[in-house]
Amino acid sequence: MVTLRKKKVKGAEIPTGSMADIAFLLLLFFLVATTIDVDTGIGLTLPEYQEQQDLVPLSKDRMAALLINENGDVLLNGEVIAIPQIKDNLKERITSKIDLPKKKKLVVSVKTDRRTNYNLYIMALDQVKGAFYEVRDEYALSKYGKKFKDLTVDQAKDVKEKIPIIISIAEPEKIK
Amino acid sequence: MKFEKKRASVKQEIPTASMPDIVFMLLLFFMVTTTLREVDIMVQFQLPEAKAIEKIENKRLISYIWVGNDGRIQLNDNLVKIKDIQKLMYAKRVALPNVIVSLRIDKNSEMGVVTDIQQALRKADARRINYSTMLKE
Repeated sequence: MVTLRKKKVKGAEIPTGSMADIAFLLLLFFLVATTIDVDTGIGLTLPEYQEQQDLVPLSKDRMAALLINENGDVLLNGEVIAIPQIKDNLKERITSKIDLPKKKKLVVSVKTDRRTNYNLYIMALDQVKGAFYEVRDEYALSKYGKKFKDLTVDQAKDVKEKIPIIISIAEPEKIK
Repeated sequence: MKFEKKRASVKQEIPTASMPDIVFMLLLFFMVTTTLREVDIMVQFQLPEAKAIEKIENKRLISYIWVGNDGRIQLNDNLVKIKDIQKLMYAKRVALPNVIVSLRIDKNSEMGVVTDIQQALRKADARRINYSTMLKE
């Protein structure tokens, strides 16, 4: 009888030398093909919608009314102002209200015309937000010796309570 | 005096056998962390720039509204009219209660359309919004 002998396999290996190159190619493809779009922007919470507008009276010194008309003129409390000046102007007022109770903090109201340029609106809103952030930073620095973003949760809560960001997007006027 | 070059007796090679593994790890990391864009943007727009911006932490909560330079509005993956926004966003809001609406509006738009969208969003009770902007250098 013939004995069946198993054939000895000689070196059946897949060459892996170029594996790294292939993997690098794949990696490069993914790096190039994926777009990491960061979602950054100015966050805001809109007011609740109500059929009947109930007007809440606000005292004059709590209020900072920002008005941007279609020609790009900006009014802050009735006075013409350049957009880059808004921040310093508001900072002063926010700082002076840090120690006041919650009901007396500054309310910034932003109002635009229907034909106002969106870019201008964002620029103005940026200034307003910037003012709040800078006051928060300054306050955090003086009280805790750290910037606002480095504070612990409790400290941040305290600062947020002292300097709440209240921005009101005014109800648009009816179309004429 | 004769200098003799010192030569180490050990092998002078970097072992490259585990290189593919390392690269595959990197590859996997990138594949997992990057979110592929799932919608086609059908409008052209250029975002405004701002300094005091914040990052939206949770990407899964975001719903997008684009407004192009020709005034067309795109909500998630199709073009819509202003009057449809309320209904669509309300459905979205029911499905995802704390939805954040990211408004990607062309910087040359007029506030009229922005206001209309905002009113629609208020009526749909999707009140957390974010004006998408680029970082001003």
